[in-house]
Amino acid sequence: MAEIREKKAQRRQLRIRHRGRLEQIGIYFGKMLRMFVYQNDWKVLPMAALIAALVSMVIRKNFFITMEGNLTGSFALVCVAIWNGCFNSIQVICRERQIVKREHRSGMHISSYIASHMIYQALLCLAQTALTLYVCGAMGVKYPEKGLITPWLTVDLGITIFLISYASDMLSLWVSAIAHTTTAAMTVMPFVLIFQLVFSGGIFSLPAWADNLSQFTISNYGLKCIAAQSDYNNTPMVSVWNTLEKVKDRELGGTVTAGQISDLLMSDKLKAVSEFRAREIDLDALLRSLMKNAGLTPPETAEAAGEGEDAPRKTVTVGEILEQALNNPSFEAVRDEKITVKTTVGELLEAAGEEDVKKYIQDMTSRVSANPDYENTPGNVIGLWLIIGFFALAYALFAMITLEFIDKDKR
Amino acid sequence: MLNVLLIILFGSYSTSNVVMEALLIAGLYGMFNKSGIAGWWAAVPCARNYMLARCAGKEEEGRVYSVLGFVTMLLSVGEYLASTENLIMMFTIPTFALEIIRLIYMIRITGGLLEVYGRRRAWGWLWVLFPFIPALIWGFGKKYQPEWKVEDIRRVSRELISGHTVQGMSDGLTVNLEERTATEFFQKKYLLRDIHMYVRPGHMVLLLGGSGAGKTTFINAVNGYEKAKARVSLNGGDIYGDYKKMQYEVGFVPQQELMRGKDTVYHTLTDASKLRMPLNVSGEDRTARVEEVMDIFGLTPVKGNLVEKLSGGQKKRLSIAMEFLSNPSLFILDEPDSGLDGVMARELMEQLRKIADQGKIVIVITHTPDRVIDLFDDVIVLAKDSERTGRLAWFGPVEEARKFFGREKMEQIVMAVNRKEEGGEGRADEFIGRFAEVQHG
Repeated sequence: MAEIREKKAQRRQLRIRHRGRLEQIGIYFGKMLRMFVYQNDWKVLPMAALIAALVSMVIRKNFFITMEGNLTGSFALVCVAIWNGCFNSIQVICRERQIVKREHRSGMHISSYIASHMIYQALLCLAQTALTLYVCGAMGVKYPEKGLITPWLTVDLGITIFLISYASDMLSLWVSAIAHTTTAAMTVMPFVLIFQLVFSGGIFSLPAWADNLSQFTISNYGLKCIAAQSDYNNTPMVSVWNTLEKVKDRELGGTVTAGQISDLLMSDKLKAVSEFRAREIDLDALLRSLMKNAGLTPPETAEAAGEGEDAPRKTVTVGEILEQALNNPSFEAVRDEKITVKTTVGELLEAAGEEDVKKYIQDMTSRVSANPDYENTPGNVIGLWLIIGFFALAYALFAMITLEFIDKDKR
Repeated sequence: MLNVLLIILFGSYSTSNVVMEALLIAGLYGMFNKSGIAGWWAAVPCARNYMLARCAGKEEEGRVYSVLGFVTMLLSVGEYLASTENLIMMFTIPTFALEIIRLIYMIRITGGLLEVYGRRRAWGWLWVLFPFIPALIWGFGKKYQPEWKVEDIRRVSRELISGHTVQGMSDGLTVNLEERTATEFFQKKYLLRDIHMYVRPGHMVLLLGGSGAGKTTFINAVNGYEKAKARVSLNGGDIYGDYKKMQYEVGFVPQQELMRGKDTVYHTLTDASKLRMPLNVSGEDRTARVEEVMDIFGLTPVKGNLVEKLSGGQKKRLSIAMEFLSNPSLFILDEPDSGLDGVMARELMEQLRKIADQGKIVIVITHTPDRVIDLFDDVIVLAKDSERTGRLAWFGPVEEARKFFGREKMEQIVMAVNRKEEGGEGRADEFIGRFAEVQHG
């Protein structure tokens, strides 16, 4: 038995073994770190900072504040991440394709080569993500503090941006493995970018047939994820109110009968009118205001007269006043009389309570525009992370499979 | 249904297009017959484009053109069958893009046709705009004849086969290559045939052959990188059967300096040693080997330099050093002296001679053999036979090669076996046959 064991040990010693896949990853990772320094691969870092600065100049005002700001901000960050990721790796394999072929011939494992790229590119994407978040913050983007998954939103957001960058990076790595020259890779690149951006599904409204294509883009899931993290659904939508504000000076007017006005004011169909009728008016304050406008001196207030806070306030609803006025026989006499009304949008808004209308419009449009895909829940965000991560791994696998056929290249 | 059939056969179902395509088919029938291709190919959709390209000597373009034609045909059928506007658009946009690419390929093929038929460029416009007109004229006009015919690549000359094999030896390199074939676009091509030889250890061998004779294919077949129908053994080990182990026994130095320019000489060699040397070699021994190899190839003074900063000769030496690290028994070098001046090339070859003198086999491809021929023991001459297959026209000592070919210089030997259209004497078949007889005894 001992003899057999000894023989086996001897045979093991005689067997010549070369470096396996794991050890080769180390060799190539070291090589890539040197390339980072010597081959100017470091240039992608300042480039990432510059891109982030340019983008944040546009998004900083409304990102995390309004619904529109969240959507454009999310889209801009997705664009930045995809751009960074794509340009990190688009040339890395094709520029040294012949060298890879030679080394593969000398015993290099393609899986080790791709795995070392995966590690190296992950570090690069991580650095770019940190730079992007820092530069955006420094340029005035105000990140909310609390995150959904971690206690800090910047960390949550960082994970998303990293995953989008990394998945795009792996997609480009695949393109680089397919392309035989850098020219070919750079020719394909714009198509990849345009496909990702057009079919992101959030910004451009796509026809139904094209909508399915967005299921295959990293940008679609990236946009959903950042929009969810920015709490898109629960932030006010301001575009409708902003449009209304721009037409404040526009005059409105026309000829109506007193009866038509009374019917409108007493109608139960319009919620806003019902709420207006239910509004309480302080009679004292109204009286004083009227007297003041008429140039009369109003009597002392109840408090000033020493009646104190216990004195009952004389309030009445708008509806009660209207009922009194409109049910009056003298009003019936003038019911069919024509009145020419002339006002502005601003005056109408003022009459209805500008702040109330603003809040109402913003809330209502926000509710209508809410998107279930942007739901601000941990489950939604983690699900999207997993999908983007899956994309990254799938692309890396495709790159590996593609490069395994490098020996079939035409000489 | 009829319309779909018309699209498949003629590319369109409009009457005028069908008529024009039918006329083109008729013209192609005549042209194919003139070029030595069966005329019925003209009736086969897509394939007729490939055959036309073969008539023009543009086989590769023809492959792409016919594949594009097939895809365009499918898209056209899809476009015809599509029910909604969106679907039609999905078929129309790629069809349009493909048509542009097809046009470019058609222009390339047309260029070849003009050359083969010796016609002026003005004909090119007709070929692109109304191809049926020149096809009919060239197909049936008696004064329009192609300068050469398409060769039937399936024909294989059998009379020149030596039937000789070499006995496997416990040392040295034994090659018994029956054939190396490749299938391109459903056609089997013979790249190499009937190559048998035994190279002794310590021999430095010159590999000669004209362009396209199959030198690189032969090297790749020998080192097992591209397997052929062959038995190749090195020092008793089966290169094909035990490739994983044997690949480290063979060092192949490619023609170009395939190294990362932005890495240092030392790191390039260290990484190469990690890849090529066995795991049981300790780190210290590996470093010592790297230092030793740097000394041998005169790279120690530049060990810290970036590869891109090295001179042409230094780059060549580094490229060889990378393979030399693992101490292979068989060394194959593809034009190691390209880009080097006479003195540097001589120095490099002398270095290779020293490697051979250590008992290793060194096979070198070079296009300037005469300035270093005294360093070689044997010469392999590969030549393209009349079927354009790479064959062995000679293997043996240099001096005997001179007698066999009746030429003093190696470059003259290459000229003797090169085809006439390449500026050679076109005597490849003669020498292949004679050498087959010599081998057969």
